[in-house]
Amino acid sequence: MLLHEKELRRQTFLEQWNLLSLSLPSILVIILIIIVPVGWLFYLSFTGKGGDFSLANYEKMITYKSYARVFMTTFQVSFLTTLVCILMGYPLAYFMAQLSDRMAAVCMLTVLLPFWTSLLVRTYAWLVLLQKKGILNDFAIEIGLWETPIKLVHNLTGTLIGMAHIMLPFLVLPLYGAMKRIEKDMTHAAANLGATPIQVFWKVFFPLSLPGLVAGSLIVFVLCLGFYVTPAVLGGGRVVMVATQITAILENQFNWGAASSLGVVLLASTLLILVLAARFLKLDQVLFGRH
Amino acid sequence: MPGPTTALPITIRGLTKKFGSLHALDSVDLDVKSGEFLTLLGPSGSGKTTLLMAIAGFNRPDSGSILFGEKEMILAPPHLREVGMVFQNYALFPHMSVAENVAFPLKLRKIAKAECEQRVEEALNTVQLSELGNRRIDQLSGGQRQRVALARAFVFQPRILLMDEPLSALDKKLREQMQIELKHLHRKLGVTTVYVTHDQREALTMSDRIAVINHGRLQQVDTPEVIYNQPANSFVADFIGESTMLPLKTEENNQLYFDHILVDSVPDQKSSQDWMLVVRPERLFPLSQESIDSDQHLIFKGKVIESVYQGETAFAQVSISEDHQLTVRFGTDASARKFLLEPGDSMELGLNRKDIILIPR
Amino acid sequence: MIDKVFKPLWIGILSISLLAFSFQTASAEPITVVSWGGSYGKAQDRALFTDASNHSGIAINRESGASMTKTCLQVQSGSVTWDLVVTGSGGAAAAAADGCLEKIDYSVVDVSDFYPGLYTDYCVGSDVFATVMAWNTDKYGEPGSPGAPSSWADFWDVKKFPGTRAYRANNVDGALEPALMADGVPPEKVYEVLATPEGKRRAINKIRELKPHIAVFWGSGAQQAQLMKDAEVDMSTGWNGRFDNAKKDGAKVGYTFNQALLDYDCFAMPKGAPNKEVAMRFLAEVSKPQYQANLPFYITYGPTNRKAYEMTKAPKELIESLPSHPKNVPLMLPVSLDWYAKHKNEALELYMELMSE
Repeated sequence: MLLHEKELRRQTFLEQWNLLSLSLPSILVIILIIIVPVGWLFYLSFTGKGGDFSLANYEKMITYKSYARVFMTTFQVSFLTTLVCILMGYPLAYFMAQLSDRMAAVCMLTVLLPFWTSLLVRTYAWLVLLQKKGILNDFAIEIGLWETPIKLVHNLTGTLIGMAHIMLPFLVLPLYGAMKRIEKDMTHAAANLGATPIQVFWKVFFPLSLPGLVAGSLIVFVLCLGFYVTPAVLGGGRVVMVATQITAILENQFNWGAASSLGVVLLASTLLILVLAARFLKLDQVLFGRH
Repeated sequence: MPGPTTALPITIRGLTKKFGSLHALDSVDLDVKSGEFLTLLGPSGSGKTTLLMAIAGFNRPDSGSILFGEKEMILAPPHLREVGMVFQNYALFPHMSVAENVAFPLKLRKIAKAECEQRVEEALNTVQLSELGNRRIDQLSGGQRQRVALARAFVFQPRILLMDEPLSALDKKLREQMQIELKHLHRKLGVTTVYVTHDQREALTMSDRIAVINHGRLQQVDTPEVIYNQPANSFVADFIGESTMLPLKTEENNQLYFDHILVDSVPDQKSSQDWMLVVRPERLFPLSQESIDSDQHLIFKGKVIESVYQGETAFAQVSISEDHQLTVRFGTDASARKFLLEPGDSMELGLNRKDIILIPR
Repeated sequence: MIDKVFKPLWIGILSISLLAFSFQTASAEPITVVSWGGSYGKAQDRALFTDASNHSGIAINRESGASMTKTCLQVQSGSVTWDLVVTGSGGAAAAAADGCLEKIDYSVVDVSDFYPGLYTDYCVGSDVFATVMAWNTDKYGEPGSPGAPSSWADFWDVKKFPGTRAYRANNVDGALEPALMADGVPPEKVYEVLATPEGKRRAINKIRELKPHIAVFWGSGAQQAQLMKDAEVDMSTGWNGRFDNAKKDGAKVGYTFNQALLDYDCFAMPKGAPNKEVAMRFLAEVSKPQYQANLPFYITYGPTNRKAYEMTKAPKELIESLPSHPKNVPLMLPVSLDWYAKHKNEALELYMELMSE
């Protein structure tokens, strides 16, 4: 036995144990509020109404066309919302990244402002703005922009407007962070080597901002998948997403198993998309700079 | 590696740049000769980087002129200035491989693929990285990144090369090695080079000429030898090399004295200013028993405060009067070992009159 | 100084404890009564709950957000906190079939004066409403005037009545019957036809035919009223009371009972309700005609208790506008709980197919 070997090893062990015990409560909470309910959801989806094992819930998804369509709609709406957010959020984040820290903070405040009002209020506000005899149509007709009211809400357009408004900060925040991390020297170097401002942007700035863009887009996309209120109010019943279908099944059939199976399929397909995205976009590289 | 057709001189006139009320550059006039290696040397905040950035076109001066050859560049955007630049943190593009980084300026110039590949290979050869073309940037060591940044800066054959403290992130040994390599590369390329550093030793090592800058003003522009041996003012004397400054007294007969020691006669009879004696520690030498000629030497007598052994050299701090002390640096060979004295011991120091440096106080 | 700080503190603590104490004594055995929000719940509070509680001495907790889904969740998870829950008749039937409801004790609750069919083993009717077709009177004229719409066929006739429609979203209650009537099935045959797969498909296809003109699918009674108020659509299905309240708020809306679906809301008791016996007594009290007689003043839903019509002091015009008024009942098709019990699940799946197209 070497000098103090045992005692020193014991100290190392205690240190590690202390670290673990610090994180133990949060690990327990995660297990309790995430793992257990998801497990329960999974279990329920394989039970019939009597509580026995059954695949009926999944069979139903094949029998009726609505399920496949609802998933298609969900992914389509989420994708389009993400696209709208990128188209609006990228220039915004770029603009903010050029500002002084002080002005950027003011700008960030206005971007975050929607977070301080309730989702329901914002959604109904869009309804008031966009509907047939809403403020926007009235104004446009008043100044002669168009003659008859344009259908801006109770359809996909309205849903996308409402969802993009809610989701924009989730894209802008990580994107702005990524842009701020791009050193000024990078763009200087590109210009110095002969790149015009447009070339500097596309060949250097944009690729370097990609990690933030991908992170923000993923957050927006995944959050969109579970949307309920906004498509329900602004979609006018024409945008049926998974959450809507789950509610319909629960309210009409009290069928927890059927509702759970939809949740399970949504979860599984979301994970699948993330895995595929990770594969093809080399997400680990983009997000964590690993190789 | 084919060198540039002709290196271009840079002519800077009245360049001024203010940040608020602070003069980052205060009417700077500077001529960089064609093909020379000129170093901008100064402490941080002196304006040396601002000057470099103005040459590269990354900041917009308030007034002044920058000529590359005969051509006024002050209004040209950076991508049209055709100057190569090596950044302090290299600014290599992490989303490109080593070869892609070096090829970047060539592709922008729409150079044919075959020629592009050949020039990238040559450039990488020149910096001894020919094997690493396919590596990603974060797989490289600091020294390797430095070389890639260099290759990228000269591969498109710019006629002016700018370097912003390119070696500051390297450890001492590598830095010293790279200094020699850079000097060698400069000789090979023959390109006009403006190099920024705050490290006076680096400046002395590498430069054809050094421009010492402080508070946005050029203090002295000259060869390393002149800068070291004939500093124009106390800032230059203090900033370059080690030195002790002794205030001198001017007597009626235009003779300068330090503590009853006649130092020299006033060099400039017209001005009535006070003078200081700059003493470099290595120019002092400890006196042993043998007497020396006091006509040719100044002799200081004092007591050792501290003596320090540093391997290749040693130094001692010697108090020569109530208010003044001198530092003397000497060798550590067997014959000099006897000068390593204890604090409190008396010591006599000699200075050759030819090594006297006088500067206005 | 110390006194100045502590005195208010003491008083505060004292009053809070007194307040808590008084709550405890006042609600010695409070039962929890759950209804819906909006004008419906308010009307029940004013007409039924407050008076019934005062007269019987039974204290009640009023909650909103009644739902059979939540009721079943409470029952299945064994944590029942609700005693009486308001529900649609169909919802009650389905919840009862799932074993979520207590049987009503008709030795306590007196339904001898109720209209037939407005109470079951598991729920007691509280009011009668109708699912009607309503329209913008500026566009199509006042009800009963010449040229105004009067049948489901008119609702479907976008040539004669050009304009936009609203229809029920994501819920099949009262959604298929109008389509069959519009397609020419006589009211008394509707449920017979709907019992067959072809009949269901026929109804769905008929709605599909109208779908390009359905501008909005509504999800709640409040939305029905809002759509008519904002003139967002020209014609909508919905519940008569909601349209009357919208009209009171200035909406240009009218409706007809012709071919409307006659349905009722009821009180149900979750299985294992914590205060089962007291709640049963309260149910008996609230079902008495003297309370129901006041309901029409607040919402135009009719009493289920025949005697309420004799007792009510409401003006004749108001009484005759109620869905359960003998003058109106023959115009309507009573909703078949039997059909919903057997066919609702299947019908919903088909309806969701249509919705998701």
